[in-house]
Amino acid sequence: MNRDIFWLTIRELAGRRRLALVVLLGVLPSLVSVAYRLGDQNTAAARWTADTLLYNVIITIFLPLVALIFGTSALGSEVEDGTAIFLLSKPVTRGSVISAKLMAAWALTAVFVVPAASVSGAIAIWGTPEQGIITGFVVACVLGALAYDSLFVMLSAFTTRALFVGLAYVFIWEGIINSIFSGTRFFSIRQCCLGVAALISSAPEETFSANLSGLESIVILAVAVVVPVWAAVRLLRMYQVGESG
Amino acid sequence: MTDATPSPAAPAAADIEVIDVSRWYGNVVAVNGISFSIGAGITGLLGPNGAGKSTLIHMLSGFLRPSAGSVRVLGQPTWGNEHVYRQIGLVEAREAVYPFLTGREFVVLSARLHGLPRPEKAAARAIAIADLESVQDRPTGGYSKGMKQRIKIAAAVVHDPQVLLLDEPFSGADPSQRLRMMDILKGMAQQGKTILFSSHILEEVERLAENVLVIVGGRLAASGDFHAIRKLMTDRPHVFTVRSSDDRRLASALMNDPSVSGVELDSGAMRVRTSEFAAFTMAAPRVARAQAVTLFEVLPADESLESVFAYLVRR
Repeated sequence: MNRDIFWLTIRELAGRRRLALVVLLGVLPSLVSVAYRLGDQNTAAARWTADTLLYNVIITIFLPLVALIFGTSALGSEVEDGTAIFLLSKPVTRGSVISAKLMAAWALTAVFVVPAASVSGAIAIWGTPEQGIITGFVVACVLGALAYDSLFVMLSAFTTRALFVGLAYVFIWEGIINSIFSGTRFFSIRQCCLGVAALISSAPEETFSANLSGLESIVILAVAVVVPVWAAVRLLRMYQVGESG
Repeated sequence: MTDATPSPAAPAAADIEVIDVSRWYGNVVAVNGISFSIGAGITGLLGPNGAGKSTLIHMLSGFLRPSAGSVRVLGQPTWGNEHVYRQIGLVEAREAVYPFLTGREFVVLSARLHGLPRPEKAAARAIAIADLESVQDRPTGGYSKGMKQRIKIAAAVVHDPQVLLLDEPFSGADPSQRLRMMDILKGMAQQGKTILFSSHILEEVERLAENVLVIVGGRLAASGDFHAIRKLMTDRPHVFTVRSSDDRRLASALMNDPSVSGVELDSGAMRVRTSEFAAFTMAAPRVARAQAVTLFEVLPADESLESVFAYLVRR
């Protein structure tokens, strides 16, 4: 990984508007938790925290959205504004470029998702045994962030419409197709995150359960990182500017 | 294609070699079977918009794969070869800088990415060449277009490359910035560097380039010494529209002048053909005065750069 490109990407991604949007999104889970605490709390706190908050809000919506924002911009914004040529006209291997971009996107995704999951989870489960639920989901978020960011960085090396393709993956493939065809769970980062959380947590099955085993989840996540990174490096080696005069 | 003779555009030690290179996008041919080689000094790549100049620069800099033929810079292929950038500096046409970086940070970043041992020192030298010391600590996002071009040149030369490729480097720069950039490039050329820049403005090439490659419609229309090509352009057949107090009288007198190859009298206007632009502009008033005819208008027709290029292609 090239450290100069890593810090350049961090500075590039940490634009005020982008950060403001992510911070705003990051506060929402905690507000949902506060609303839950103020309400009737009919559902057991551990189950609500795992199933509704950490899975349905954090893993399903917040994590992929934040990863989409940082992952598609890490390389995509430079391809779009032409600064990619500045970077690629240096004697730096394409693998170094991609790994620096991915690490920057991953670091920023984790910086926002981990506190959002931890704080909102702690508010929701306060006073009830934690049973490794928050720990499990936080680890799942960190690993899931790496997989999502790998996918989105690769998409931005492949197409200028990475944001739309990424949204389609998250909300159509993982949101709709996954719920209809159970076989597609092997191709879902979201399901892998749930599998990792279940592996770490000691909570009983009635609190929350996963469709993939812990081992399956880790293996699939590893593949979901390695394959897109390999593809992104290949795509960047073949990078060509658009038609010109 | 026109080969101006003598042709110093093909020196013995060529840093850039392009052999029968073509590039097409689907059915559209952007560059068609171009061959040339250039060495140290400044070479201008001249052509109208859409001629294929940027496509050629992108192939030379490894950002486009030739559909056919071979491109070599310093003996190495450029496509898919990031190591070649140790010896190449590239200044892109697009106004692409990181707006949040100061000028100095931008050039230091370039030095670091080139793995230079003392990036700060190299950056200071490059910024001095570009004459941007006074604004080096300002974010580049606030730079004018000309300053952005100059900071891009500083970033491109920070590693002291042997070959510098520039795509429309003077676009958007004001006249003083343009002159400053020209001085920078002349200074580099004097150090034995090979510089290729593209432009669609004849005067820019005229001021700066010793050698020229004229590209039209994706084809190399002419190459060689600029002055020889300029002479070809000037001595091509020209048509002047002339209006006077007595067109018939003037027409018959002009027919006898050696600079005139033909005269047509049309309704209310006279069209004079000549292959000697300067000689005719001197002869016309002299002949008119001798014939006691008053000249109202002597207007060169069809003097667009496109028509000049089209003439070179036809030759």
